[in-house]
This record gives sequence, C-alpha cells and structure tokens, in this order.
Amino acid sequence: MIMDRRDIEKLTSIVGRGNILTDKEERICYAYDATNQLHLPGAVLFPASATEISRIMTLANRQGFPVTPRGAGSGFTGGSLPVEGGVVVSLERMNRILEIDEENLLAVVEPGVVNGDLQMAVERLGLFYPPDPSSMKFCTIGGNIAECAGGPRAVKYGVTRDYVLGLEVVLPDGGIVDTGVATIKGVVGYDLTRLFVGSEGTLGIVTRATLKLLPLPEAFNTMMVTFKDVVDGAKAVSAIIRSGVVPTAVEIIDGVSIGCVKDGAATGIPDGVDAILLIELDGDRGSIDRDAASVKDLCLENNGLDIKIASSKKEVKALWRLRRALSPSLARIKPNKLNEDVVVPRSKIPDLLSGVRDVSEDKGLMIPCFGHAGDGNIHVNVMYDARDKGETERAWEAVKAVFELVVRLGGTISGEHGVGTAKAPYISMELKPPVINVMKDIKDLFDPKGILNPGKIFQCHRGGSDEGP
Amino acid sequence: MKVLKELVQELDRCVRCGTCRGVCPTFGVILREAASARGKVSLAKSYVDGDIALSRTFIRHISECVLCGACEEVCANDVPVPDIIIAARGEKVRSEGLPFTASAVMKGLNRPHTFMSLALRVASKFQPALFKKVPKESGMRRRFPVPLVDKDRLVPPLAGKFMLDTLKKSGKVERGVFVSRSRDSKVRVGFFAGCLTNYISPNIGIASIEVLNRVGADVFVPLKQVCCGMPALGMGDVKDAKSLALRNLDAFEGLDLDFITTSCATCGEALKRRFKDLLLDAGDPATGRRVEEYCGKVRDINALLVNELGIGDIIPAAAGDESRKVATYHDPCHLRRSQGIKEEPRELLEMAGLRIKEMNHPCRCCGLGGSFNLTHYGFSMEIGKKKAEDIDSTGAEIAATACPGCILQIKDGLHHVGSTVKVVHVIELLAGRLRGGEGMNSG
Repeated sequence: MIMDRRDIEKLTSIVGRGNILTDKEERICYAYDATNQLHLPGAVLFPASATEISRIMTLANRQGFPVTPRGAGSGFTGGSLPVEGGVVVSLERMNRILEIDEENLLAVVEPGVVNGDLQMAVERLGLFYPPDPSSMKFCTIGGNIAECAGGPRAVKYGVTRDYVLGLEVVLPDGGIVDTGVATIKGVVGYDLTRLFVGSEGTLGIVTRATLKLLPLPEAFNTMMVTFKDVVDGAKAVSAIIRSGVVPTAVEIIDGVSIGCVKDGAATGIPDGVDAILLIELDGDRGSIDRDAASVKDLCLENNGLDIKIASSKKEVKALWRLRRALSPSLARIKPNKLNEDVVVPRSKIPDLLSGVRDVSEDKGLMIPCFGHAGDGNIHVNVMYDARDKGETERAWEAVKAVFELVVRLGGTISGEHGVGTAKAPYISMELKPPVINVMKDIKDLFDPKGILNPGKIFQCHRGGSDEGP
Repeated sequence: MKVLKELVQELDRCVRCGTCRGVCPTFGVILREAASARGKVSLAKSYVDGDIALSRTFIRHISECVLCGACEEVCANDVPVPDIIIAARGEKVRSEGLPFTASAVMKGLNRPHTFMSLALRVASKFQPALFKKVPKESGMRRRFPVPLVDKDRLVPPLAGKFMLDTLKKSGKVERGVFVSRSRDSKVRVGFFAGCLTNYISPNIGIASIEVLNRVGADVFVPLKQVCCGMPALGMGDVKDAKSLALRNLDAFEGLDLDFITTSCATCGEALKRRFKDLLLDAGDPATGRRVEEYCGKVRDINALLVNELGIGDIIPAAAGDESRKVATYHDPCHLRRSQGIKEEPRELLEMAGLRIKEMNHPCRCCGLGGSFNLTHYGFSMEIGKKKAEDIDSTGAEIAATACPGCILQIKDGLHHVGSTVKVVHVIELLAGRLRGGEGMNSG
C-alpha cells in the first residue's frame, strides 16, 4: 500500500523530520522480523512519546491506514510485520528505564528498553527481573509484553504477564489509558492489563509499563546432563518436577539439535548423546546444594550418562550460549523452518517427543526439538526447503499433525511466541468458535476500523471462518 | 576476494533473528535497523536481487560499519558480515572509483614508504602552524579549519622521525633490509611496521625490535615494505589492496625467515588472512604457494613472544605484588576476533609488572574502524566515548592495548571524556620493564 503524500506530511509534522523514514532502503530494514518474511511498510515512524503515538493513531483512524507497532523485530510469528502495509511505529527511541523503586520492588520502563539491559540495571541493585526469552540481549520489553514472552526461568518464575502490574497504552482511536496498579494486589474493575499482555499489539500500543521485581537469588547453579535417549531425558524432567524440587530452568535439547550446535561450535559433547538437559537452580547456597544432589540422583535413575556442573560464571555463560544459539543455528539443516512453540502438561513431554518422532518419520522430515521442558514448552522445528514444493507441503502437514497431537495431549499450540500470522490458520484447532467470536468482539470494540496491526491472530477479522487449511 | 554477487549463499544464511543488534557498535549509537548487521545484510541482499540500486542511501548505510566483526562472532549461522560489507563497498568502487582524497592516498601508499615519508615529512613541518599541542596529552588540536579534520579531534602528531627512515640511516642495512641481531640468535623474524607505527608511533616498532632481540630473535625489517592494504580493503578497493599485498610478499622474500610479525593488530589480520583472500583466487599457483608460505609465518607479536619464543622463561610474571601499577586492557577487534588472541597480551602485561583490572566489555570496538574514523568522525567518537567510559571507570592508571590504531582512537576518546588515563602499547610497557624502567615514554 502506497502512503498518501499528505498523510506522510502530517506524520512528519507529528514525529519530526528526522524520525520518519520513507526511502525504500530504509523501509526494507523494517520489513522483516525473525520469521524472515518481507512485508514492506509505506513509512517507518520513531515517535518519542505516548502523545505522539496518540496523534499518529488519531490520523490513522481518520485516514484508514494500518499501523504496526514494532520493538526489536525479533518475534517468531510475524507480530511486527506490516502485512497490510501502512506505517510501522518503531518504539526503539522510547528506551528509558524511568524508575527502579527499590523499596517497593518495581521498575517503570518505556517499551523500547532491551530486556537484558533492564536485567542488568536491576541486578546491579540486587534485584531480579525473571522473564528471560532467549533473545533477551536484544528483544524489547514492549515486544515481550505484546507477545507475553516466556523463557527458561518460567518453570519457577512464570512469564511476562506475571510481572506486569500496570500499563500506559495508546488505543487505536488515539485515546491514552492507564491500566492496572503499582501494587501487588488490585481488583478494581476488569483486568485490562492482562488483556493487553499477549494481545500482540492488536488492541493498543504499550507506551509505559510498571513491572514487578524480585530480590536477586543469592546463588545459581547450572548443570548439564547427557542422555542416550531423548525420552529418558524427558522422563528425568518429569521425575524432577514430581520430586518437589523447583528448578529455575530445565531445558531439553534433542539429538538433531545437538548436531547443529556441534557443527557450529566446539562443545565437547561426545557422540551417541541423543539428549541434553540443562538445569539451573537458584536460591541460598544450602538449598541449592541439597536440590542439586537430588536432581543428580534423579537424572542417574533415568539413565543419565554424564553430569557436568558449571564451576564458574564463564562456564555457566558457555552452557547458556549453546542453548541460545540453537534456534538460529538450525538453518544448517535446511534453509526454512516452521518453528512451533507448543506446550503440553509436563507429564506428557515423553508422549510429545515420541509422537513428534513418529511425525518426523512419517513425513520424512527432520524435526529438531528443544526447549523449556520444565514447563512443558517445547520448540518443535519442522525443517524444509521452500524451493521444494513437495517438501513444503509435507512440512505444513507435519505442523498440523504436531498441533493435533498437542491438543490431544491437553496442551496449547503456542506457549510464548504468539499467533501472529504464522499460527493464525490453526487457532480453531484449539479454540472453539464461541471463544474466537468473543475475541473478535473484543478486537472490534477496541479497533472497529481494524487499523492496528491487522492480519494477526485471526485469519478473517469478522464474520469469516477461522477454519484451518 | 568474492564480489557481492558471489556471496548470495552467505547472504541467505542470515535468518533475521536480530542477535547482531545486541552487539553492533554502530547500531548501539543510532538505534536504527539499517545500522545493524541484519539491516546491512538485508540491504545487500535487496541490491543483489535488483530491488534497490547502488543508491546514496544504500552506500551511506554500508559505509556506517566499523568492520569489528562482533556480529559475525555472535551469529549462529556464521554470516561473514565484514566480508559482505567489504564486497558491498567494492560495488561502489567498481562503479564509481574511489573518492578523490582516498584515491590520492592510495596512490601514495602503493609506493614504498620512502615516498610517503617525503610527502609526510614536508607535511610535518607545517604541523605547529596548523595544530596546537594539547598539554599533558600526546595529541594536538587544530588551530584553523583543516580539510577532513573535525574541530574537536585530537590529532596524532606525525613522528619527528619516521621509523623506517631512522632504520635506514642506522648503518645496519644489508641489501635494503634493516637487520638487528640478537646476542643469542635463535630464530629469524621479519618485522612488519605498518603505517601508524612508521609515521606516528615509531617507538612501538623500536620497542618491538628491542624485545624480539632480547628473546633471541634476529630481526629483519625490509625497507621496501608498504602499507598492509587494510585501509584500501576497508573501502572496498580490492585492486589496490591486491597490489599492496604483492609488494609486501616481494619485500619479505629471500630472507629465510622463521616468522613474520607485527605489533599492529590490523596489519596482523591483513598479513595472516586477508593476503590469502586477496591473492589465492588469482588462479596463479606460484603466487598461491608464495602467499600460503608467507601467511603461514605470520604471528602477532604478543602470540609470537609468548607461544613461540618463550618470553615467560626470561621474564616471569610478577604475580601477587599488590603494589603494582594497575592497567586495563582493550582487546583490539582485529586481534581478539580476527586472530583469536586474548590471553597473550594480558600475560605480557603481567610480565611487564602490571596488575590487570578488566574493564566492562574489553572487546567492544573502540570505534576507529580504519578510515571510518576519517569519514564518520562524530559517529566514530560516539562509539569511542563508550570505550573511554569503560576504561575510565576501572580506575586504572594505564590503558594498554596491542594496536597502534586503537591507541590513537582511545587517546582521543579519553580526551573527550576528560580522563587522564595513559594509553600505551603492551610491547612498549614490556620494553620499558626490560630496560629497567616503567616503559611509559609513549607518544
């Protein structure tokens, strides 16, 4: 969609000449996210305040052009892709940590703050912001809120929604509202804060967030356990959860994924290892040692081969670097992937992994799995080559088969990436029509003209069917 | 060197995950996607696909990179971003040629250093008229507008006597090669000075020769050597970089050397790796063999001293003494990332009698980026200020590094933040210790 010249002029007067980009070269750089798809916007705006965003939304609402909010563009489901053109509103300039309240354990931040920067800032004061998506060194809090990002520590600490107390949001009609509280408790009226968290930028643009902090745990302990069979690894996870130990994180990496990182980095992982568990514990030193001992025993009881405990900060970092490099490194197998972040009840992880293995054999495709076994959230990556038509078709069939399996096991098709465009065709596999209709009514209430981040979550806005392919 | 169109596979390896945003120094300053590696790779891909032309905007974005390689280091798919940037800059050189000033400089560099010496010696006479010395710091500020020189820039003074000129007149020249023999000749080492050492900081070169002699190396400095070619390559000027590489192969030939070394991190990358990139695909097997042999002998001086010449047996580290002076060490990109050398310079600092206090982000680029600093001074200094703050907040008395380029940039950066930390090359400190002093007579 080509932007109207007069609209561009008005937008320029709102954000200032230096904060709007219209050259094709510039727009190309805001046409993608981590899905690696391209949708060229008509212009890119860098507002500095809620007021400016409000004026942008007012204009968009009057003129009817789409607005797509964007943080770091690191999402996996296309949440920040301007699929219907219009303008991208990049929140990169609004990147100030406004306040860290040590007495009340709160932080007030703008949406463009990088997750890792916030973590460092609060940790310097002995505080802790737990949500830690693998992209934490570059993803932004605004994006985290829009997608309700999780991360390895979700096992013990939950996800982004558990840390958002209040929000300032610009609504699609340009109105600015404050939701929520700056306290731990608060039940006055509907919980709009929770409605906005995970709404994928379809209901409003978050311009300020009040976040809950915790005291920083005294110590961390990270260990790596290898297994000959991935199902043994999954059983060990179930055993740990059952035992009452609550680890900070329990990550599982299957054999195919191990092959990818081994290819890319010297890892010292021997051959014949089909699964790795990365387990992190935190707390005071006494409890950590006790928990570490029981975790160790449980792994050995479930055929764990080798247990390596990181003895320095450097070793801990190296272990986690390996885990964080996984997702992008899969491109070594095949150029394209369908990256699904399904969740099953934790006791069903072995069923999920063996089920995915069956799908993989049936479709003749590599499907590396890794992820947050501790909370049942497994990243299932169907690898294929988009240039091969048959393979592409089988890849989509495989995704559908995996989703069917997940729903059958009582799980959900997205734990932390969101629906975006990538999973829009499948939501009806999980959600019944009346629920989808309520959701569409909510969207309609906030954004009757459908101008804010259109084309996401629902395949058809209203009246149409969201039946899968 | 591959041209951009030959790098399609490498371009396609980028999955747009955004990891590079977290480490890219230029992105860190302007916070715009086009400044990040991911943005530049996307632009290069669009150019190769014919979606955009060799436009001013494209060229500007491709120019805004310090080639530090931090993105390549964190990239899970090993996208060779610096190679892509160099190739993209090459597109411009191929279609438009070099800008006038750059082309004049390249013509000069493509002759033996003696030619440039003459030109620069004349220039050095005008220094006091154009610049005033900044007290206490080894730098100068301009008095009047000077082309290419920003008014706040701390300009490094040209050395009173250039290194190779000094060596030439030393009386120790045998058939065009300066030779300085060790008391116990164990190995034959060729020394590559590089432009910054030759013209601005000859004492780094002199200190290098001294230290090498002390550990039993006979040092050979061919006076015919020329610029390493990295400034040319950084601009995408492959043609001049190739011709410089060939001249340097010639200059070191026939000396029966065991090693070739340099005290410049950037020259080290050129000699060890880029010469191969430039000359191996020439389709000329004889040159191929020569360049393989040459590159195989190249060692950075820190690595050479520690790993090959056993300097640790001669001067053990002065560990434990808490009264030692405190130094912090900056990892030059072209040493740590391009050559994987990080421990050796730190070991040498301990041997020089210093206690190391690590700064935050020791391997974050200083922002010099070769000619980037000349063409994008303000930008370069924004990156440089972050480095200066990291250094200053350690409380160290000395900032040591192993690259004459980083030294100039860090001095300028520290000057901007009002810090008095002294900036010195590791080898100068080591030579100072060997002489029995502190080794602080830099500048």
